Amino acid sequence: MKKFLAVVKHEYKKVVLKWSFLIGTLMLPTLAIVFTFVPMIIFSLRGEPTRIAVYDPSGKILPRLEKNLSPDRMVEKAKKAAADSLTNIDASQEEKMRNQAAQFTQSFVLSEFSASGTVEEARASLIGSIMNGTIDAYLIVPANVADTNAAFEFRSRKGGDFVSNDTLRDALNDAVRSQRLAEANISEDRLSELSAPANLDAKGIDETGEEKSAEGIMIASFVIGLMTYITLAIYGQQILGAVVEEKETRIAEILFSSARPFELMMGKLVGVGLAGLTQLGIWVGTVAILLGFLALQSDMSMIMSSVPAITPLMVLYFLIFFLLGFFIYASIFALIGSMVTTVQEGGQFAFPPIMIMLAAFYFCFAVIRDPNSTVSFWATIAPFMAPITMPVRILAEMPPLWQIALSIVVNVAAIAALVWLTARVYRVGMLMYGKRATIPEVWKWIRQP
Amino acid sequence: MPDTFNSDISLKVSNVTKRFGDFTAVEDLSFDVRAGRVFGFLGPNGAGKTTTIRMIVGITAPDEGSISLFGEPVSYATQNRIGYLPEERGLYKKMKVVDQLKYFAELKGVSRSEADKKIDFWLDRMGLGEWKKAKTTDLSKGMQQKIQFISTVLHDPDLLILDEPFSGLDPVNVEFMIDVLSEFRTQQKTVIFSTHLMSTAERLCHDIILINKSRKVVGGSLREVKESYGTNLIAFRGSNADSVIANRSLVDRVVSHADEQELHLAAGVDTQAVLRAMIESGANVMKFEITEPSLNDIFIEKVTGAANGTLTAPVEKNL
Repeated sequence: MKKFLAVVKHEYKKVVLKWSFLIGTLMLPTLAIVFTFVPMIIFSLRGEPTRIAVYDPSGKILPRLEKNLSPDRMVEKAKKAAADSLTNIDASQEEKMRNQAAQFTQSFVLSEFSASGTVEEARASLIGSIMNGTIDAYLIVPANVADTNAAFEFRSRKGGDFVSNDTLRDALNDAVRSQRLAEANISEDRLSELSAPANLDAKGIDETGEEKSAEGIMIASFVIGLMTYITLAIYGQQILGAVVEEKETRIAEILFSSARPFELMMGKLVGVGLAGLTQLGIWVGTVAILLGFLALQSDMSMIMSSVPAITPLMVLYFLIFFLLGFFIYASIFALIGSMVTTVQEGGQFAFPPIMIMLAAFYFCFAVIRDPNSTVSFWATIAPFMAPITMPVRILAEMPPLWQIALSIVVNVAAIAALVWLTARVYRVGMLMYGKRATIPEVWKWIRQP
Repeated sequence: MPDTFNSDISLKVSNVTKRFGDFTAVEDLSFDVRAGRVFGFLGPNGAGKTTTIRMIVGITAPDEGSISLFGEPVSYATQNRIGYLPEERGLYKKMKVVDQLKYFAELKGVSRSEADKKIDFWLDRMGLGEWKKAKTTDLSKGMQQKIQFISTVLHDPDLLILDEPFSGLDPVNVEFMIDVLSEFRTQQKTVIFSTHLMSTAERLCHDIILINKSRKVVGGSLREVKESYGTNLIAFRGSNADSVIANRSLVDRVVSHADEQELHLAAGVDTQAVLRAMIESGANVMKFEITEPSLNDIFIEKVTGAANGTLTAPVEKNL
């Protein structure tokens, strides 16, 4: 037991005290933060306002367009959009929206372009203005706005600014629509009453009857499936590398003359497993802190409300299934490591387990879509797959306890069989130098008493 | 360490056989190793040395026969009393010297504080004190060798098994290591020494066993083994003696060294008769000395079975 603990400690320190561990541990939260915040920051950075010359011979669209791009109107629109996901908006949020809207409107400077000639002459003159830089874009409003085939011509030097283009398109649509409505003698209020969308409130219901957000579940399930998959793959390779190193450098001979091969192998699995748990703990902790921080930012309550409630029981299950997955794949990789002579050779053999993991990861999508289907049932019970798919299913919809228990029993049995098999191959394979073991050879080692 | 006499048996190998499938690596091997002696375990590659050592160390178990260490059958429990330096050596590449040594000591059941003390002592002893925090990759091959040796003695083993301990060391360090080993002997510890280098074995070993093709060929104290080979060996230096040397009825076999020749006389030939024949044939004799066979000679004879013909290549090359 003392020697076993020495091995555990040694393997744990070997993983955790390496630069790659620190980098790997920091990488995931950093990437998460980068992917969350950088696009937000980039889109909030606005360039120079776009100067648009509007050629509107009818004179009916420009005033409405200007009105639609006014800050008041933008706030109204933003409020309406947010109303779907928010029940109440407090003053500070309204303030923020106004500022944001002001930012959007500031990026357009509309000017009227009037010319007495034909449209073609006007266009040529506008293009000239763009070329000499006095304006950035022009909008030619067709003469007959009521004609649904009439095309609005918008040409800009900044064709790729899709955020601005979208804002402009929305404002223009509204302007044209209200103009057409006015021509048809329908008031805008009347129209919005008539065209109000049906309010589909789509949410999941958990086993206690509490509501939960469908979208949040999907994202969280995907994240947990992906994280389990990545962690298992990384730590599997870690085990493979550690086993091959001891074989390649012949340290195995010294180790085997000091402790039982089984102690050495299990010590390695447990030590690296604890290192994996440490990393996972750091990540979960980071996410928890990040969510807590976001919860304090009142304008992020939108996001918070869609984070599914994760109970301590769920966390316990996640932990169990992570460990099941770790021991399954770690023993497979240890088995491979003791058969091959170099890490590169091991990489070729690592293909089958990686494929199984990947398949399990793809099954996650089926599980997310319908957690209670037959496919989901088998995918979350099957050995090798369950450690990746079951956490996803638990998050999507808590399965009956007997199914979780069955899954655990099946996978523990698989681990017992794999550890037994690996131990048999390990004790012989680790002392075989020079060439890769063939399958018949390995079979012989397994049958040796 | 209990009080022991030189004659006390520390390791007893009795009728041990080990097979791998159809291949018999060790067959019916028996020998005793006495405490406080250096025991030479000799044989060519593939003779079964490593297999035997692995059984002594408890890495594998014999199919037949038994091995006992200090009266106890070999098991995981006896591993802590053995220090084993395998022929194929290795250290963790990217780990600090002190960390590896601590790990190896811990695996042998040495307490942390004890290990710290021993590591400092041995690193100083080996002149590697300043390399304590260095990584393996920063060390020369000789230094790695010494670190490896330290790892085998940290737990103060009663039996030391060294497989080619001097490979990779320069002559100065070989002398140094021999000094260290002789200290073990004075502490009544047993050393099993496996090597191809017969000259080293001859210098260090009290007892030897020579195995070839899975079986014991010859064994006993160095003296006994040598004496059993008789005294029909002559170290000769001179010229114009070719006719006598080529005479197969007098000289059975010739081994040429750089500046002299070793003449193995044919059975029953008197050494004086050979000397007389040389002088009569007009040879210019500068050296004519009756010597005892070297371990090298015994090794060649037993391993290659080259009882006739002329062997000129040094034996180490063939191995």
